[in-house]
Amino acid sequence: MDGDPRNVGFFEFLSTEERAEFAEVSELVAFTPGETLIEEGSEPSSLFVLTSGRVEVSKRIPRHGERILAEIDAANEKTVVGERGLLDSRGASATVRAKGEVEAIKIPREKFRAMISAGSPAAYKLATRITRILARRLTRLDEKVVETIRELEYRGETDLDVFRDKLVTEWTV
Amino acid sequence: MQGARLEGLPLFSNLSPEEQAEIEALLEPASFGAGEEIFEEGSPEKYLYVLTSGTVKVYKEIFPNQRQHLATIHAPTVVGELGLMNETKAAASVVAEEPVEALRISHEAFLEKLKSGSSTAHKVTYEIGRTLAERMAKTDESITKIVARLEDARSDRDFDVFRNKLMQEWGF
Repeated sequence: MDGDPRNVGFFEFLSTEERAEFAEVSELVAFTPGETLIEEGSEPSSLFVLTSGRVEVSKRIPRHGERILAEIDAANEKTVVGERGLLDSRGASATVRAKGEVEAIKIPREKFRAMISAGSPAAYKLATRITRILARRLTRLDEKVVETIRELEYRGETDLDVFRDKLVTEWTV
Repeated sequence: MQGARLEGLPLFSNLSPEEQAEIEALLEPASFGAGEEIFEEGSPEKYLYVLTSGTVKVYKEIFPNQRQHLATIHAPTVVGELGLMNETKAAASVVAEEPVEALRISHEAFLEKLKSGSSTAHKVTYEIGRTLAERMAKTDESITKIVARLEDARSDRDFDVFRNKLMQEWGF
């Protein structure tokens, strides 16, 4: 088991010194099945790099309860959750729960903010990494939104016109 | 003139005067006449534009041969920052509504700076990241609403597949 940012793939873009900086502020955390890593809506999340186990990402849909969006396995490529919270001041947009025993490296949001305030190059580099992740995801989401609009049009769902317009307006440029 | 050009733009507001000068060195002036295209949907984006005066309109071809107006943006503002971080083709067209004065930074020059470890470049991307995080929160809200509405309207089973596709891309 290795919970040291110095030895975790996600941090490979940092120099040895910069990784040591994150080793100082990061915490090794463990969750039991059902425990919450990130709670939707409460506050901006901290960043978690999953080192073992599986988590479930879910979201509340108004009038329709909670929906599961994804399951993330630490054994797979995508092992970071909560990264948006480091750059955002809004509450988390989804809940992340442990599916089994989960271990992770946590970079607490407030520690990251303090590093940014102090002008830490390591923190800025991590921010750049997160920005790239967000840019990719936003582009994909925008494409999906356009597909949705086309699909609604194709189906002639005039009942959903208002939402189609809403989607167009919110569409990011 | 020097130093004042980036004033009032959140993207550069956390830079020291020295760092601002470093960015200024990358700036080239650019101007567009009314109706001229700054970005063309589907073409590569090569520059980030700092609009210093004028107004632009954003269009996207959502349905074939039908350009939909998405937004109107007034200077001072920045366009092309998503493309800078994503190195993708322009997802929408940006057209000058009236004469536009701008300063542009080539993606290539900026990314080169970033690669060389420039803390100034990293500070700028940090601000871009904050903007993107905010946009993503808004997109999330819109999608939540549309998903809820699709759930309300689930009159046929095909909708499930379609909704699921939308949700899969979502992540968070």
